[in-house]
Amino acid sequence: MQKLSETKTGETAFISVVEGDTRFLSRITSIGLTIGSQISVIQNVKKRPLLIYSRDTIISLNKEECRKIMVEVRA
Amino acid sequence: MSSIKNESSVIALLGQPNSGKSTLFNGLTGARQHVGNWPGKTVEKKEGYYTHNGVKYTVADLPGTYSLSANSEEEVITRDYIACGNADVVCILADASQLQRSLFMLADYAGINRPVILLLNLMDVAKEQGKLINAKKIEEKLGIPVVPFTAADKKNYAPFYTAIDKAFTEKRVLNYEGLKHAYEETIGKIYQEIYDLMPREGLDEYSPMWLAAKVIEGDAPVIARVKNALDNNSKQMLDEVLNKVKGGSLLTGECKFTWIDGILQGAVTGKKQSPTLSGFDKIATSKKWGKLLAVVIILVGLIASFIPALPFMGIGAIFSWLADPIRDALTSAGAPAFLIGLVCDVLINCIYFVMSMIGFVFGVNLVFGLIEEVGYMARISYSFDNTMARLGLQGKAIMPFLVSFGCTMGGAASTRVIDSWGQRVLTIALAWALPCAATWSIVPVIAVAFFGGWAPLIVVIVFATSFLIMFIAAKVFGRKLVSEEERTGMIMELPPYHKPKWRNLLRSVFVRTKDILLRALRVILLVSVIFWLLTYSSDGIVDNSIIYKIGKTIEPVTQFFGLGWQTFMAFICSAISKEAALGVLSTLFTGAGTVFSSTIGGGSASNINEILVASISQAEALAFIFAVTFNVPCIVALAATYQETHSAKWTAAMAGFYIGTALVLSCIVYHIGILIF
Repeated sequence: MQKLSETKTGETAFISVVEGDTRFLSRITSIGLTIGSQISVIQNVKKRPLLIYSRDTIISLNKEECRKIMVEVRA
Repeated sequence: MSSIKNESSVIALLGQPNSGKSTLFNGLTGARQHVGNWPGKTVEKKEGYYTHNGVKYTVADLPGTYSLSANSEEEVITRDYIACGNADVVCILADASQLQRSLFMLADYAGINRPVILLLNLMDVAKEQGKLINAKKIEEKLGIPVVPFTAADKKNYAPFYTAIDKAFTEKRVLNYEGLKHAYEETIGKIYQEIYDLMPREGLDEYSPMWLAAKVIEGDAPVIARVKNALDNNSKQMLDEVLNKVKGGSLLTGECKFTWIDGILQGAVTGKKQSPTLSGFDKIATSKKWGKLLAVVIILVGLIASFIPALPFMGIGAIFSWLADPIRDALTSAGAPAFLIGLVCDVLINCIYFVMSMIGFVFGVNLVFGLIEEVGYMARISYSFDNTMARLGLQGKAIMPFLVSFGCTMGGAASTRVIDSWGQRVLTIALAWALPCAATWSIVPVIAVAFFGGWAPLIVVIVFATSFLIMFIAAKVFGRKLVSEEERTGMIMELPPYHKPKWRNLLRSVFVRTKDILLRALRVILLVSVIFWLLTYSSDGIVDNSIIYKIGKTIEPVTQFFGLGWQTFMAFICSAISKEAALGVLSTLFTGAGTVFSSTIGGGSASNINEILVASISQAEALAFIFAVTFNVPCIVALAATYQETHSAKWTAAMAGFYIGTALVLSCIVYHIGILIF
């Protein structure tokens, strides 16, 4: 298990844990990210938010937020 | 809120941002809309109406939110409006091109017992992407009318009207048994225990299931309401169960998406969006080129926005040509000088002034509305997220900032694309610090006249100071406007690029510009009349006006800030129109023209430089430069700020902050100036 912020461009992962307050959890759920969701990391570069793909949508996620999301990278 | 209900049948539009809600609202109501505030709130309330088969329907455009939680004022307003039974039928919009994710709103709504229809909007985009959607199948599972739809295509609204008629006669409520089942399966015992504690009849239109889900999500307002309805024993039991719940939104969210997947099973076929970036997007989101591309596109957009502005300016010019003939006509008709002044100086000049500025606002709204609509705005936001986060803002804020170098009013108007109210107000508050084109037209003139070769240095210092003021404003305003918890970083979808829907875009830009025009005209007329009365003197000599007497009386005070009565008066006038600063000084020092006409009409003596250098000291000139630069940008910007923030309080706070800052800065540089020169 690792932080979403530490994943690399091109990797595929499954969300296993999400930390954070009610507001964050509800916001992240409403954009379609829940436990078990499959995501592809489209771009992860320094000083930019992550670009991920999940539920047929490209989502931009701040790095700080990505540290609260733990994922299991598929080998 | 409920007053409108008796008048006609009410339809409420509900949907996530980008679901095309505004397009449908504009398409249905056209110009028959009313924009105001929700009572006691700063959230915009949009209502309109349309008639179909002789029946009048009121349409309420509820704020665009991602869910029905209690994360923002918008969300609470939205769900309370529905739960109190204000709407006869709720119309939920989902984006057919990203159906799975955008049905979340429907899932969050499930359990509210209000008749509802579902619009699968943006079917044209879904089709382009090669997606096939079987609405009949979805309809069977949900038990409510489900309409494949394209809100931008006004000619094909018939299925919508039919579905609305059906909803009004059959009053069918969403079938949420499947979702209930998912809660029972996945969350299990905890859900059951909480469900059993909910009021049997629900609360308002909220069913026990909906309440139980929100309680699990840790929704504070719902928990408080539920507890209110419980006896002490049950309250305690509820607290005990709640202690066992962790990350409730994740649990219910999982169930909601399980339910959505079940509904879409077999109903959606065809291609999925590709999980890779297109060639253009690779550049638009690249670390090296993303920012540069964004700045270039915004600047080109800024220049382009002058093109649609030209016709407006032409109309404004016609009014200014009319001034003389009207003056002559009134004089020959024997009208009193006072009345002639009021009509020709105040009314006509105001219209001219507003028209010449509103054209630019129209242009900015159109060009940047277009950038938003095609989907590029999200890429700008992505590229500037890290930079803007330092000011407590979203990446989108870069756009109003760049626009503000041209015109603060345009900058304020373009904050419309920022989705959180607090961030919008904060962005405007910071944008005021940036020197606009008018500032650029006067600061170098004065700097060259007084400081010759040192002028560039003065300009650089002014520029650096404006960034300093931005940071101070970010601290002063940021704390209240964007609370720590609201500083959640970017969580945003990058929508696929769309072809622009010109008709819709133009329609919504016209409506918006009209709103600002009316508001700006009201504000400017009011301020102008007061200002005109203050500067009015029956013989036309400045020394006999009220403003002269006030200026002279308080001169000992203003001199402390480095401003004599003439420069102080020009400072006051620059809050109405920045271009006015030089013209007013010219009037005051030469006695030609009136203070009023030089403020609104502009223009100054050709030898203004010599006059200034002969009349005021270098230190006072320096003080004046800073005072004018950091003053309230102009009266139209003030009106636009009020229009976008919906808050007189915050608009006044900004005005106060900048007037104060301007005076403090002029005071500081004046006293430094005395030491140097």
